[in-house]
Amino acid sequence: MIELRGLVKNYGLHAVLRGVNLHVKKGEFVTLVGTNGAGKTTLMRIVATLLKPTSGDVLIGGWPLPGHADQVRQHIGLVSHQALLYGDLTAGENLQFFARLYQLDHQTDRVEKALKEVGLAARKRDPVSTFSRGMIQRLTIARATLHEPDILLLDEPYTGLDQDAAHLLDSLLEREMDKGRTILMITHDLIHGWNLSHRSVILNRGKIVREVNRGEASPAEFLDIYAENTGRRAAARVGG
Amino acid sequence: MSKQLTEKKSIFSVLGRSPYAAAVWAIVWKDLQIERHTKQTLSVMIMFSLSTVVMFNFALETNLDAARNVATGLLWATILLAGTLGLNRSLAIEQENRTVDAILMAPVSRSAIYIGKVLSVTLFSIVLEVALVFIFIMFFNKPLWRPQVLLILVLGTIGYISAGVLITSMTIQTRTREVLLPVLLLPLSLPLILPAAMAVASYMFPQTPTWGEVQSPILLVIIYDLLMITTGVMSYHYVVES
Repeated sequence: MIELRGLVKNYGLHAVLRGVNLHVKKGEFVTLVGTNGAGKTTLMRIVATLLKPTSGDVLIGGWPLPGHADQVRQHIGLVSHQALLYGDLTAGENLQFFARLYQLDHQTDRVEKALKEVGLAARKRDPVSTFSRGMIQRLTIARATLHEPDILLLDEPYTGLDQDAAHLLDSLLEREMDKGRTILMITHDLIHGWNLSHRSVILNRGKIVREVNRGEASPAEFLDIYAENTGRRAAARVGG
Repeated sequence: MSKQLTEKKSIFSVLGRSPYAAAVWAIVWKDLQIERHTKQTLSVMIMFSLSTVVMFNFALETNLDAARNVATGLLWATILLAGTLGLNRSLAIEQENRTVDAILMAPVSRSAIYIGKVLSVTLFSIVLEVALVFIFIMFFNKPLWRPQVLLILVLGTIGYISAGVLITSMTIQTRTREVLLPVLLLPLSLPLILPAAMAVASYMFPQTPTWGEVQSPILLVIIYDLLMITTGVMSYHYVVES
């Protein structure tokens, strides 16, 4: 579903991604971990069609990027630590806008259903600026999945969430997995990411240095693997 | 996946609706909704314009003839400066919470996003201009409430905002965006404003000018509009993706 071959991204003379190869199968949940500056967000923005690679092949659902970005965009949704929502609009208006932008059919029904699924139906007419961080993140998931994308990209979605909100986000992500969506998530919370996903991929200085399937190691062993490959003594939560 | 895409596209065909027009309308609808809730863009533009006109009126109070002579230039200067406020506000909204990323991830043409933004800021500017015309009639006693004058104002606004959305999209991520926008946009707008001001000035006399007298400046304004819209439509994806 997501295939990266020899992906390189330079900002001027600075190489951020240096020949990344990654294959994510349909329905797979992959966590991307690494220290700050490893190139995780750059990689995510390339897959999200927001950045163009310097060289290398990017295939999403068989479509090459950046040439077929319009086709790919129909099939991806992004949840970031930033809301990507309008604080001055109500929850319903935000979703209505994205339903219009994606030109979805049965827009009103879809918006109602999406709000209900994330438990925000009662807050439909409230401005997003009055929402808590947890509520905003639930609405962000509703926005990102409104057009029923095959691929969900998550860029540090747990940032700023308290424990209850994080648990709620876990259950929402599990529901998305059950729907068969392919999920690629960036997180600094190694154990949390490890427990949620099928596979964890360690990115260091613009290169994938190790891929570990969940069955291959225990969480403690994974922390050791992470430390060996990044040169950082790992705590359960690293970076920031 | 491609099959799914084809199915989604065929829905548009069945509905007989242009996806491009729907994307443009989505952007305009969203900006109007935000303005309905906050009233920030229009109120700032109108307040700025009102205070500028009042200030000039007091400054030129002792010389009413001079005030009337500079009225057309002052009208355009006020529209341009208020326009930069509207442009900055309208594009800054997309930077808050990085909603611009969510818009750019939608499967819509970048030029549709550009046209949508141009339309929404132009709508706000037209509302401002209607208010300004009344203010100018009140303060300077000029015959501005004429369809021809309003048409020239609208044509001038379209060109100015078309150039403005493009420039603002380039400068919006810089720290000095408030300074950069007028510095880049005002010189670029000179070829538009000079003929537009000339055309409006022709209508400030009791007798209505003939088409031949205003033809050249109005055509220049239209040419500028077409040039800027074409440039925007063709280059907007470079601006937002680089």
